[in-house]
Amino acid sequence: MRSKRLSAGLLSVAAALSLVATTAMAAPKTVTLWHVFNLDTDMIYGGIEAFNKAQDEYRIEARVVPATSMVTELIKATATGSVPDLATLDNPVVASFSGQGTLTDLSPLVAKSEIVKPGLYFEGPWASAQWQGKTFGVPRDANTLALYYNADMFRAKGLDPDKPPRTWSELRAAAEKLRDPAKNVYGFGFSAIQAEEGVFQFLPFLTQAGGSIDKLDQPEATAALDFLVDMMKAGIISKDVINQRQYEVANTFMAGNTAIAFGGPWELPRMEKEAKFDWRLTLLPVKDDKNIAASALGGYVFVVPKGAKQPEGAFKFIEFMSDPKILNEGWKTGRLAPRTDVKVENPRWPQAYGIYREQMQSAKARGPHPQWPDISKALQTAIQEALTGAKPSAQALQDAAKKIQPILAKTPL
Amino acid sequence: MAKAQQPLLYVFLAIPVTYLVALIGFPVFYNLVMSVQDVNLGNISSMIRPFIGLDNYREVIADPSFRKVFINSILFVGVNVVAQIVIGLSVALFFSREFPGAGLLRGLLLAAWMLPALVVGALWKWIFATEYGLANAALTSLGLVDAGVHWLSDPRIALTSVTIANIWFGMPFSMILIAAALIAIPRELYEAAALDGAGAVARFRYITLPSLTATLLAVACLVTIYTMRAFDLIYAMTQGGPLDASNVLPLLSYQFSFQQFKFGIGSAIGTFSFVIVFVVALVYVRTLKKEAVS
Repeated sequence: MRSKRLSAGLLSVAAALSLVATTAMAAPKTVTLWHVFNLDTDMIYGGIEAFNKAQDEYRIEARVVPATSMVTELIKATATGSVPDLATLDNPVVASFSGQGTLTDLSPLVAKSEIVKPGLYFEGPWASAQWQGKTFGVPRDANTLALYYNADMFRAKGLDPDKPPRTWSELRAAAEKLRDPAKNVYGFGFSAIQAEEGVFQFLPFLTQAGGSIDKLDQPEATAALDFLVDMMKAGIISKDVINQRQYEVANTFMAGNTAIAFGGPWELPRMEKEAKFDWRLTLLPVKDDKNIAASALGGYVFVVPKGAKQPEGAFKFIEFMSDPKILNEGWKTGRLAPRTDVKVENPRWPQAYGIYREQMQSAKARGPHPQWPDISKALQTAIQEALTGAKPSAQALQDAAKKIQPILAKTPL
Repeated sequence: MAKAQQPLLYVFLAIPVTYLVALIGFPVFYNLVMSVQDVNLGNISSMIRPFIGLDNYREVIADPSFRKVFINSILFVGVNVVAQIVIGLSVALFFSREFPGAGLLRGLLLAAWMLPALVVGALWKWIFATEYGLANAALTSLGLVDAGVHWLSDPRIALTSVTIANIWFGMPFSMILIAAALIAIPRELYEAAALDGAGAVARFRYITLPSLTATLLAVACLVTIYTMRAFDLIYAMTQGGPLDASNVLPLLSYQFSFQQFKFGIGSAIGTFSFVIVFVVALVYVRTLKKEAVS
C-alpha cells in the first residue's frame, strides 16, 4: 500500500518534471525592460500584460527603476556589460548615450516597421532620439508645461478665473495681486533647482523672450531671467524655488501656498486627489512685445542599449506600445502621445487635455546634443547665480555662454 | 604544537587579505586607474581607455567649484566632529546621572541614528522649508527672527543647515560610544576624589576627561570618516545647492560621474576623498593600538 502510494507519487513527480522540461523548451525568450513608471495605472503595465498574452515568442520582464536613478543604473549596467534589452530614458539624455555609442541603432528595424513610422511622430519627440541621421530610440510619451492656477484664489482677490493671464505682464500683475504674505501665499511658482528640471522649466521663458540656448549672451536671454529675478525680489516668487523639484512646486500649489504654478500633465492624477479647490489650467503666457508661444518638451524614449540580447523582441514591444490603442491609455496618468494619429476621445480632465495638446504645438526639444548635461549645467548655474543675487542676470548668462559656445562650436546643435 | 598550527594560521591570514584585496583594494585601484584615463559612456565597459596622465587632476584643481566644495567638506567635517563630540559628551554625562528611565531614553535617542539618511534628509528639508517649515515657525513664534530664514535656498546658510541636520543625525552614535566609555570609569575614583574635596568640575577635569581621551580621539576619527562620506542626507536636502553652497566631495564626485558623464573627473575627486579618509583611518588604527597597550 505504502510502496504503491510512493511509486504513484514518484510517477507524478516525474510527470511534472517532464512537463516543466517541455514548457521550458518552448518557453518564450525573455526581454528585460527597465522603466521608471511607478503608478500602476500607467499604460506600460497594461501593455506588458497584453503583450505577454498576445504572443509567446517573447516575454517582457519588467523592473521599475526610480526616475532619478535610471541613468546611474544604466551606466552601471553598461560598465559591467549586463544591460537590459529595453529601457526608458528621459529625452534630453538620450543623445549622451547615443552620441557615445552605447545604444543600438534602430534605423533598420524602423525602416521595416509598419507601426513606427517617423512621419507619424511630432517633430520634437522624434528628434530627441535621432543622432547623426540614425534612430536610437522611439518616443514613448510626450509632455510639456502649462500654468496651473487656483481659481478660488482668483475669485477671492477679485480676479476673473475665466480670464487667466495670457502675457508676461498679466502674469506678473495677477501673481502680485494673489500674493498674500500673511497667509504664506506666493503668487507664482516654478522649479529653479540646480538640475535638469530647473532648465526644463526655464527654457519656456527663454524661448518666449526670443532667446535660445546658443545665444545666452544676448539681451533676450537676460530679459527672460530678469523677469523671474524681479518677481523674486518683489516677493512674488518664493526664494525656496531654487531648491524645489517640480513635484515640490506642485506640492506648494496643492497646499495653497502658490497661486499660479508651472507644471506638467503628470501631476494631474495627484492634483485630482489632493488639491481641494477649484484648480484649472491655461497656456503658458507670451512675452507682450514678442508674442512667441513656447514651452519645453519632455517625455520618455524607449532605447535598446548596445549589447542587448533580444533587440528584435525589444523592438516588437516598442511597436506594441506605439499602437494608438495603447497610447490612448497614456492620458489616464497624464501622458500625452508622441504621435499625431492619437486623439483621446472623452478624455479625463478634458480642460487640461485641450490645454496640453495645444501647448504641445510649441514645445521645443532640448538638444539633442551628446553634451547636453554640460550645457544644461552651465545654464543651471546661471539661473541660480541670478536668483540668489550672486551675479546680475546679464553677467551670469554671459558666463554660461562662455562655457556653452565652445561645446557648440565643436558639435553644433 | 605551534608548528602544527602554522599552516592553519596562514589560512586565517589569507581570508581577510583576499577579502580586502578583492572588495576594497580593487575598487580603490580601479578608481585610481579611471582617474588617469579619459572615460566616457562609450568606453566605460572596457578597461583599455586613453591614458591622459594627470589631466583630470589638473582640471579638478582648476575648477572653482571643486575648491569651494573642498573647503565645504573640511568645514562640514570639522564642525561635525567638534559638535558631535561636545554634544555627545554632554548628553552622555546627562544620562549617566541614572535618573528613572535614563537607560531607556538613551536607547531611544539612538533611533534617530538608525533612520535611513534619505528619510532624515526629507524630514529636515521639510523642517527647513521657508514658508511652512517647523524651524521658522518656532523661531518666529519665539520672536527670535522677524522674517523666515531661507535655510536651504540662501547660499550663505545652506551649509550650516545641512551641518545641523547631520549633527542631529550622527550625534546619538557618538553619544553611545562615549556613554560606554563613561561606564567603564571606576566609581572608586570619583568617591576617593570626593573625599579629597574635589568638586564636580575638578572631578570632570581630572578624572572623566583623562579617562576618555582615547575614546574621544577614536570617536573623532569615526565621525570624520562617517561625515567625509556623507552623501544621501545632503542629496535629499539640497543636492549640494544652491550654487554648490552645501556640496561636499562625495556628492560632487557623483555629479561629475553620473550627471555630467565625466567619469575620470569624478574618479579624481574620489581620490582626494580617499586620501583624506585613509589618513584619518591610519590615525584611528594607531589610537586603537595605543588603547589596547594601555
